[in-house]
Amino acid sequence: MCKAALGLLLALVVVSPAAADEAADIVRDADNYRRPGESFVWKINITSHEAKKAPSTDGFEVYVKDRGRSLVKFIAPPRNVGRSLLALGRDLWIFLPDAGKPVRIPFSQRLVGQVANGDVARADYSGDYDAKLLGEEIVDGVPCHVLDLKAKTKEVTYAGVKYWVAKDGRRPVKAEFYAATGTLLKTGTFDGFKEVVPGRVLATRLTLADGIRKDKLSVLDYGGIVVRDIPEKYFDKNSMKSLD
Amino acid sequence: MRTLLVLFLVAGLTGAAAAADEPEGDVPDWLKALRVRGRVAEEFAYRLHDPGDVSKLKTLGWLEGKYTFSEAANVRVATRGYYDAVFAATDRYPDNVQRNQEKELELREAILTLSHGDFDVRVGRQQIVWGEAISTFVTDVVNPKDFREFVLPDFTELRIPIWALDGSWRLARNVTLEGVWTPDTTHNRLPKKGAEFQFQGPAFQFRNPVVRLPDGEDELSLARSEGGFRLSALREGWDVSLIYYDEADKTPVLFQRRVPQPPRPDVIVLEPRHPRLHIVGFTVAKSVEPVVIRSEVAVSVGKRYETTDRGDADGVVRRDTIDYLIGVDFPLVWDVDGALQLSQKILTGDAGGLTRPGVQGQVTTSLALRLTTGFFDNTLNPSVLFVIGVERGDFRLSPRLEWVLSGSLTMAVGADVFEGGRRTLYGQFDRNDRVTFTTTWRF
Repeated sequence: MCKAALGLLLALVVVSPAAADEAADIVRDADNYRRPGESFVWKINITSHEAKKAPSTDGFEVYVKDRGRSLVKFIAPPRNVGRSLLALGRDLWIFLPDAGKPVRIPFSQRLVGQVANGDVARADYSGDYDAKLLGEEIVDGVPCHVLDLKAKTKEVTYAGVKYWVAKDGRRPVKAEFYAATGTLLKTGTFDGFKEVVPGRVLATRLTLADGIRKDKLSVLDYGGIVVRDIPEKYFDKNSMKSLD
Repeated sequence: MRTLLVLFLVAGLTGAAAAADEPEGDVPDWLKALRVRGRVAEEFAYRLHDPGDVSKLKTLGWLEGKYTFSEAANVRVATRGYYDAVFAATDRYPDNVQRNQEKELELREAILTLSHGDFDVRVGRQQIVWGEAISTFVTDVVNPKDFREFVLPDFTELRIPIWALDGSWRLARNVTLEGVWTPDTTHNRLPKKGAEFQFQGPAFQFRNPVVRLPDGEDELSLARSEGGFRLSALREGWDVSLIYYDEADKTPVLFQRRVPQPPRPDVIVLEPRHPRLHIVGFTVAKSVEPVVIRSEVAVSVGKRYETTDRGDADGVVRRDTIDYLIGVDFPLVWDVDGALQLSQKILTGDAGGLTRPGVQGQVTTSLALRLTTGFFDNTLNPSVLFVIGVERGDFRLSPRLEWVLSGSLTMAVGADVFEGGRRTLYGQFDRNDRVTFTTTWRF
């Protein structure tokens, strides 16, 4: 009994780091389907659906650099134009034209529909979460790794994510997003895989469904992708007004 | 002219509608670089107390254009115009108020922005906004303010733009030094006597005749130019900035002098002046999910106040003043967001005889609570702002309900209720409670 326990302990000590490394590798590879490069601009259309209501669409132009720095400009509808969000790592500001200056806000605050600020401002799970490989499952006929992601700090949009990544090619398939209480907040599915940048296939659609009311959906469509170097002023909160 | 207008509209609509993979069509490059947008608003207010009557029937228009020459250079121009039909609809306001508030066409922005590496320069007519908190001016010290409608309009509307040179230098990642210089010493715009939101003046009780001189300093002056700097840094989630600003007090201080008129009694002359202020301060903000904390401190060295002390030769005393606030934003139940803010004004010296509204003693404390939420996917957005002066119990209560009719059109109903003694900040408008109705169309 004692030997068996010792063996199990040794196995955990020896095997766990390797398993954690593999899990981290899988998440990092899946992240590559969610970002076209190290410095790029893309446009995101968010269409919010709810039963018995006409869908509404919000447009954003997002400037991303160095995994973790992004500027999100609101470009539609007209009532939101002029607003912007700046994310520097786990710090977030919103610029509101009525206030005339950037104001600090939390990542978890709702942006529109089922979409939190962090859903648009960050496309990087490997930087925000520690991953653990739970096993394998088949999702819609696709064999997947199942991963348990735990937030590295409290300043992350979700406390935990259950993440399904295709075994073949390691592309993201599905995610469940959880609050710290363990409550399922929303479910996301990744699709619309296209080679929008030469040599780089990206998921151009993320569908987020409310954890309780499944009829409440937000569809994020990614397009207008340009990979280019973005000047530093885009990631300076003091420049948010002049970049409007 | 008509062609130009059409081009402006096309550019504005193109900018607003472009999203995702939408094709941009055959718009020429020079036109893509032009962005035009604007809004039109109709603001109605009804005064609840005697005489219950319309107090605002204002039509406002904003038009803004931005032309981007390159990543490193752009120019931006914005105008605002309004006409308030309340002066035609009622005869409650004197002519001087009508002349001052009935109509206005103002250049709100004319800025050339140039960037080179880690340097940015903005030159022209602009708003330069410092500080972390909203709905307060503790370190928002650069631009003068328009108080003709108290502090009820949006803060971008309250700030009066100035001609200035504003430069930023990114010293390192997340460390920025900003320098400001302006020869534009425009003062705060205060309501005329008889206006809806006329402030209570100092409680002078002179037995002698009094002459009040006009506030006639030139608004552009190299000799009285103002300037300062702000050093901002972000470290470990702490967003900190240090500020220094040298300016003329934007609110006039009434200095007294006696002019002998033998054999008649001396005449008391009240002369508005703008003493020099040296403002030193800092701001800090930090997010501790899901709560955000923020604080601002400003020390105004050289601040002066009118006094009713008859023994004081010029009727003015110096009281260096510390203003600070501590605020916390937090989520509540049912998707309600709360923001609680404590602010204090502390005078370094005795406050006896000082009668300025907003200064209740050596320490003046104010507590503000704002609650906001949204229903039906944020198309119906109620909010309420409650601000109370702790020492005298005067308060402002402003509930508001915004209805988003479409992506371009919003309507809002609201109220502004004031209570308190006549010589308190909010109590001076005790008889000015109002309900408001606003429609805004954006393009």
